[in-house]
Amino acid sequence: MLRRVSPERHLRLSLALAALFLATGLWLEAMIGLRLGGWVDDPLRREFLRLGHAHGGLLALLNLGLGLALERLGTPDPWARAIRPAALLGALLVGLGFIVGGLWHGPTDPGLPVLVVPAGALMLLGALVAGALVRRGDRRPGSSV
Amino acid sequence: MTRSLLRRAGPGLWLFGPALAWLAVAVLGLIWTAREPGAWAPIDRRAGGLAGSSSCVACHPAQATSWRRSYHRTMTQPASGAAVLAPFAGESLLYQGFRATMTRSNFGLPHLRVESVEGGAPLLDLDVALTVGSHRYQQYVARVDRGGGPGELWRLPVAWHLGERRWIPMNAAFLEPEGEPGDADDYLRHFSRWNDNCILCHNTEPVPGLSDRSHGTGPEGQAWFASRVGEFGIACEACHGPAGAHVARQADPARRLLGGAGDPAIADPGRMTPRAESGACGRCHGNRIAADVAAVLRAGDGFLPGEDLAARSRPIFADSRVGGSDETPFATRFWPDGTPRLSAYEYQGLLQSPCYQDGQAGGLGCNHCHDMHGERPDMQVRAGRAGQAACAGCHALDPGHGGHGAAIDCQGCHMPRITYGLLEGMISHRISSPDPGAWVGRHDQPDACTQCHVDRSRRWAAEQLPQLGLAGTAAGEEASEEAWAPRVLLDLHGGDPVQRGLAAHALARPEVPVPATTRLAWLVDALEDGYPAVRWMAWRAMQRLAAGQGMDPKLSELIIAYDPHAEAATRLPAVDALRARLGPGPLAEERRLALEARQDASLLSIGE
Repeated sequence: MLRRVSPERHLRLSLALAALFLATGLWLEAMIGLRLGGWVDDPLRREFLRLGHAHGGLLALLNLGLGLALERLGTPDPWARAIRPAALLGALLVGLGFIVGGLWHGPTDPGLPVLVVPAGALMLLGALVAGALVRRGDRRPGSSV
Repeated sequence: MTRSLLRRAGPGLWLFGPALAWLAVAVLGLIWTAREPGAWAPIDRRAGGLAGSSSCVACHPAQATSWRRSYHRTMTQPASGAAVLAPFAGESLLYQGFRATMTRSNFGLPHLRVESVEGGAPLLDLDVALTVGSHRYQQYVARVDRGGGPGELWRLPVAWHLGERRWIPMNAAFLEPEGEPGDADDYLRHFSRWNDNCILCHNTEPVPGLSDRSHGTGPEGQAWFASRVGEFGIACEACHGPAGAHVARQADPARRLLGGAGDPAIADPGRMTPRAESGACGRCHGNRIAADVAAVLRAGDGFLPGEDLAARSRPIFADSRVGGSDETPFATRFWPDGTPRLSAYEYQGLLQSPCYQDGQAGGLGCNHCHDMHGERPDMQVRAGRAGQAACAGCHALDPGHGGHGAAIDCQGCHMPRITYGLLEGMISHRISSPDPGAWVGRHDQPDACTQCHVDRSRRWAAEQLPQLGLAGTAAGEEASEEAWAPRVLLDLHGGDPVQRGLAAHALARPEVPVPATTRLAWLVDALEDGYPAVRWMAWRAMQRLAAGQGMDPKLSELIIAYDPHAEAATRLPAVDALRARLGPGPLAEERRLALEARQDASLLSIGE
């Protein structure tokens, strides 16, 4: 699905991602309000759920901006087709990596799923850098066309 | 080939390649660490050395925060800044013909000067180097070379009582008679050396460093101290052992991510059997005799939390002997049934409790009721384990017990306050069931029932048990005085000093079903006790009772006007004023004198 992310789908998925991670905020609020065990008594989990909620929500909004920017800048299609899925997947991995790593964590560190956070961050970073550098008339790297 | 790959991959490689490379490196790193024996195998914990509590904070912030709140952390501190809880602003304490004056030196250091009221050279004139304690009272330690070298430190003869915010003589914190007024040796009875005493249980990884050979300027054959500690106070490594190997191992993030099952490079009392985790506490909360005392004084006790404490030392019990002698020098520290009656014997109480079950899994250990990383530093009771909740996991709570459960929790009867420590009555850690009938006719040990029902006799208590649905021994023949006075009053007037202090403490407990004014009148007699520690406990008990709702404010003023450490001529008018206010004591003169005559036969001199 991510291989065929049209500009419209990028914007829709960005909004969906923002909704998903903002909804986790409701969950966190409920846990605070209900003083649920495993939340109030687990600072590590609390920290990583907050990180996932905040990063996921903000990076979804960043995707929204990036989707609009790619159209406005006229980024060549071969690049835009790679940038959009990278940015979306990156935001998803960062947000989910924090959340899942926080839900199932060890005594002093988050769980193994947190390892996808740097991977997601690298994708998103690459997408932003490419969006900033690639110009309207640029060719695909290595291409003679 | 690389160029061809780049050409084929195009933007996808630039955008997804770094992330995939990271994931590959991360997975390879995890696999390598998982297969690396050095990351998981048991290790010589001592060889890794100490790391210090500051190295624990990054990975264990919550535990570091709770430890910082604890009295363990502030057990010993360099005497500067907020560590010093006493004012040292020119206060003075007159006791037994000596005046102690607490000031600051020119450099702002806390300073103590002790002089005889009759003049002459000062007995002591010292800057304070260390503070010891921060919960009930704070003691002070100064550097004094009395032949043991420049590293020698001595506990000073005055301490700051935190509850009363006043200075107390250290002699008066011990259960012993007052010395001869003006006698310097008596005054300095507890001017004791830190290097081979306090250092051992009030610091982390202590090494007394005693040698008996010439060292620097020390004379040949003279005991010489080069003491050192891993960290002042009870820090992380006191309970978890040296952490250097653990810290080095956990520097690898892959090890931390994979290491949910713990690390044998560090001791975690929370994962130990009751025997092992209680041993980590018993090292200090259970006075003991080292297998090799000379080695301990040279290089520390060598105990590592998690090891068998019994391999290093044996806990002191009533029948413990030393050096092949037939004498039992520690017997006065225990009640006749072997229950410890002093604090710092909590470990022995646990070992004697049936719940301990020889320390096997499923038995009771210190961790069951206590949590070193809980919210409240006072007593460090584990959340959800206060009161009856401590017992509910194993014992079905009997709704019977004559409704006692509504008035008092399990500990009130099964862990009564029959332990003296730090000028307080404390709960016994030997869990037992009261059987007052078995002790009718005896005067040598308090029981749970009459420590609360202070206006009753043991016979009465024994007769109540069947009515409560509880089993107990039928009361035997009473001693004559048991017929005319409640048990606590017999202890208060005729018990040994521990009994007298505990009786005074019991009379002020909030759950006692006797009017406060009655109890106040009973306590006045104890203000004339020959032991300053007993007078202090009676005086504090009266303060607590007089602070209750609806009490006469003038009474509190009269109680405050009394000074348990003043000389008798000053004390007695204050006692007379209280007697006039509260009415006569509960016992007729001849009966009171008959009981007090017993005190001479029960002279004691035992430590904190």
